[in-house]
Amino acid sequence: MTTVMLVDDSATMLMSLKAILTKAGYAVETAGHGKEALDKLGKGVKPNLIISDVNMPQMDGITFAREARKAPGMRFTPILMLTTESEATKRAEAKAAGATGWLVKPVGPDQLLGVIKQVLPGA
Amino acid sequence: MPSLLRRLSPATAAPEEQSVRPDAVATALDPVPAYCDVVDGHVHDVIAQTDEAATAIIQQLVKVDSLAEVMAGDVAQLAGTLGRTETELSQVSSSNDQLVGRLISYFLHRDQQIRALVDQMRELDQHVKQIEEVSRATNILALNAMIEAVRAGEAGEGFSVVADEVRKLAHRSAEAAHGIGSSIGDLTARLDAVLSDDSQFDREQEIPQTNEETAMTRRLGGIANAQREMSELVAGILKDTVNAADQVQRSSAALTTETTGAVGHVQFQDITRQMLEHVAEAVVDVRRQSEDVVAYARGGLTEEELMSRVISVEALRAKHVMSRQRSTHAAQTGGPAHADAEPLIELF
Repeated sequence: MTTVMLVDDSATMLMSLKAILTKAGYAVETAGHGKEALDKLGKGVKPNLIISDVNMPQMDGITFAREARKAPGMRFTPILMLTTESEATKRAEAKAAGATGWLVKPVGPDQLLGVIKQVLPGA
Repeated sequence: MPSLLRRLSPATAAPEEQSVRPDAVATALDPVPAYCDVVDGHVHDVIAQTDEAATAIIQQLVKVDSLAEVMAGDVAQLAGTLGRTETELSQVSSSNDQLVGRLISYFLHRDQQIRALVDQMRELDQHVKQIEEVSRATNILALNAMIEAVRAGEAGEGFSVVADEVRKLAHRSAEAAHGIGSSIGDLTARLDAVLSDDSQFDREQEIPQTNEETAMTRRLGGIANAQREMSELVAGILKDTVNAADQVQRSSAALTTETTGAVGHVQFQDITRQMLEHVAEAVVDVRRQSEDVVAYARGGLTEEELMSRVISVEALRAKHVMSRQRSTHAAQTGGPAHADAEPLIELF
């Protein structure tokens, strides 16, 4: 089963996205911020895709994306940034950090699942 | 110190002769931190309430979605069972039709054989009548022979005995022929009754009769018709139920699509939360600045320290992360409206 890791400091967002992805047939791992997500990767969790918020406490999404790329087996795993942030400079930072895409909230379920199909064509 | 206070409040600057009273400014600003704390408390209360409401909404939607899926599964199972029942009923009905058809054929064939037998027996009746005729003629001949034997006198005595025996034989032959004829008549009457039995059952059913039909074949035809009508009725009910089940399945699928969409819309709470958190941060800035002014007025802060911490609308703008926040900012300050050129979804 394809596993998606959700990283967001909003419990509401985690719950909402988890409901959408679970219904679509994905297994879901959640983390409340970048550091927690990084810890999970360090403990052997190997998601097929990561969807991360940008503005989070402890470790923001862009730093997390940069660090996640260094984790074993995560070099080519798609990382989508899902955020309210619309500043172009932040987007460029995320791209440089290794993010695969940038999605501005709110994103409809169909749009989100469509993007996932694009970055995970076989899933 | 007074000159700075005048600069900070140009709109309320006092005339030259009016002296600025720093203590009054500090006293006037004293309630601002508490005021800001209350506003901050309200903002965070709204955040907590919307968070709680959004969580409850998602939980309810997930539950509704789950129930809709269970219902769709149950209905699909029911529709499958009904579909199979409809097929089986159709097969049973067809099988019954074939069975009744074979029975009707069997009875028609049997009836034809009985009719042929009756016809043959009626032909036997003709032969019996011929035997009776022969017996009568033989009896007359025997009587004539006896008369002739009496005329012949002593010479005819032997012949008279033979003639009497012939008469007796003729009589017995006539009796036997009559018995056979009666038996044949009785048998043919009974077989006719079997073929043309018109019972109360047939009259009640008002089944049309044809020349080839008998009571049994008419009954079988009636049973077949009744069974066919019942099958068609049940099949119609099953079909309607299957259609209703399909409709429920489609409605359930539409409902789960709607609930998923609704779950997606709950992202509004996260966006609202972030906007309110920025408002709360701005309130904290106002609070701090009021404290700084009070401290300056009371000599606890230098002018340089105060001015280095003064809040600005431009600094507030720099904290915005959303396009909507920047648009609102521009609308309030009269600045240029900010339009994001970047797409909402972009794959690098």
